[in-house]
Amino acid sequence: MQIKNLWPYRWLLLNFLSREIKSRYVGSVSGIFWALLHPLALLAVYAVVFTAIFKVKFPELEDHSFILFVAVGLWPWLCFQEGAQRGALAVQNGGGLIKKVAFPHELLVYGAVLSTYAVHVVGFLLVIAVLALTGNDLYFSSLPLVLLLFCMQLLCTSGLALILAALQVLLKDVEHFLTPLFMIWFYATPVLYPASLVPQQIQQVIALNPLSFFITRIRGLLMTGNSQIGWQDMVMLAGSLLIFLAGRWFFNRLSPYFEDFI
Amino acid sequence: MQIPLISLSNIGKSYPSVATGSNRLRTIAALLFKRGETPSFCALQGVNLELKAGESLGLIGENGAGKSTLLKIIAGVVKPSTGRVVVNGRIGALLELGSGFHPEYSGLENIHLAAALMGMSNAEIDSKLDSIIEFADIGSHIAEPIKHYSSGMVVRLGFAVATAMQPDVLITDEVLAVGDESFQKKCIRWIEGYLSQGGTLLLCSHSMFHIQTLCQKAVWIHDGQMHMYGNSFDVTREYLTYHEEKNSKAAYMESAVQPSGIYQIRKLWLENDLGAVITVVEMGGTLYLCGVAYSPDGRPPVILFGVARADGTSIYGTHSNETTYLLNKVSPSQFGFCVRLSNLQLLPGKYTIRAHAMDPEGLRLFDTVNTTVRITGQTRDYGLCRLEHEWIPARASFIAVEEDN
Repeated sequence: MQIKNLWPYRWLLLNFLSREIKSRYVGSVSGIFWALLHPLALLAVYAVVFTAIFKVKFPELEDHSFILFVAVGLWPWLCFQEGAQRGALAVQNGGGLIKKVAFPHELLVYGAVLSTYAVHVVGFLLVIAVLALTGNDLYFSSLPLVLLLFCMQLLCTSGLALILAALQVLLKDVEHFLTPLFMIWFYATPVLYPASLVPQQIQQVIALNPLSFFITRIRGLLMTGNSQIGWQDMVMLAGSLLIFLAGRWFFNRLSPYFEDFI
Repeated sequence: MQIPLISLSNIGKSYPSVATGSNRLRTIAALLFKRGETPSFCALQGVNLELKAGESLGLIGENGAGKSTLLKIIAGVVKPSTGRVVVNGRIGALLELGSGFHPEYSGLENIHLAAALMGMSNAEIDSKLDSIIEFADIGSHIAEPIKHYSSGMVVRLGFAVATAMQPDVLITDEVLAVGDESFQKKCIRWIEGYLSQGGTLLLCSHSMFHIQTLCQKAVWIHDGQMHMYGNSFDVTREYLTYHEEKNSKAAYMESAVQPSGIYQIRKLWLENDLGAVITVVEMGGTLYLCGVAYSPDGRPPVILFGVARADGTSIYGTHSNETTYLLNKVSPSQFGFCVRLSNLQLLPGKYTIRAHAMDPEGLRLFDTVNTTVRITGQTRDYGLCRLEHEWIPARASFIAVEEDN
């Protein structure tokens, strides 16, 4: 299906979005608060382990705190991980609809990924606001660029989620393989450490990881205010688009057959 | 030449069999690169069908014949394995109970969701919300989660949303059966109005009554293939006859095993004017009920016969003693009998004719034998049988008649 043919279904996407957000937090007493609590707890654990026990110190920190360093990278990572995981299961969970109603199945995946980004970007903005108020130096002038990077990362995540979601319908193994995959991926991504600390031999490998680019770039923008747009940004923009389009091709190739397998 | 709203050519559907892991992997590769054979089983094949605007088509067939698969293909939920589907219009499909509803959400939220799934915008939904709620008529339950609804209430809501959408083609799959009597009537009234305004209907039902009242034409799907297509009265009649034949073997076995030494009916059949054995008769025609009864002591037994509707409601019964009818002796211990029912005024449908053998005094009933008859004909009358009547002009004095009560 052409992307423009999805336009009449915008209300449905909106509906899926609000449904995803509501179903996560409506009914739980603390509501949307949970969206912040989980990353904050993670941040607290990392802060204790790495500043109180390991007492890490590296030149990239300069005069910033380690908490700020991790926080700026943690939220983009969580967007990616949770978005991809939720997106991967979205089609299977929407099986009831797929069996009974004709609509573009990809909307289920977009609903899941977009809702995750919506929740965590709001959390991210709150946290950097709090960090700035508590005396950390942040370059807010580069915030529009940061949000643009989030959008690129959203495209990337959607592409991956589309592929995983289609595979999950046909092969139920995907679900079990996701948790270890994202755990390894997390440690292979410079969230807890700067990319420069990675040994020379595997720098090349790390550079292939798109998340490594996004997180390093967002961190650079907010912490050092380096808002010059270089060729890497262009390459990443093209790459994100490419991943998204590849994901769509893969998904839409298989989506007519979902009903047979669900 | 009018462009058909829906046209199916050589539609087939086979489901991949994915019981084993290697089969799954092979299927994915085949689907992705569009080549290679995959192990599969066939649910539907070679279906050609056209539906023009303003037509109403009924879909009948046994369980598992492929009716729902065909409807899903037309609705776009299932992609056919072979053939081509062309749809020129907006389809409103009620494929199953509460399709497109989420159990956790309230009726109102589900109206929005279902309407969005049908491609309506928020503004469009809001403008029709009142009429949807009014049609569903489930009172204050509208604010409660769907999971607490009865199945009838879910159908009410689903149908109400579909009515608001005003589709070019309405597809319903056996959803009417769940609603209560008054809601069914409401739906049928709505469908009749919709059809009279030029709407197109595709109805799948096991109720031949619904098919006959709502559809001009019908298709009988049998084992994944089109078995018969034509006027809905003809197709439903054939279909019911098929079911009778399927059941008649069992009935025959029942009557064959009987003890001897009592009065009993050995044979029972139906004939027409020409003496040929029949099971179908035209409304208003003549039917002969013939049989042979056995008597252990050589005295002629009394025969009792009755007509009942397929569901067992008795319509009429009488016995041979009434008219001092004496059975003819056809062999030393067997007596023949024959009853002529002329100008048969039973309305079209399936009826059971039951005959009993009684002792010659007409006191004790010994034996029961059933046979069925199908009355054919087209009529818009209601009930079991036609009463002799005539519409006549009113007298001027009617106006002066006082209302007594």
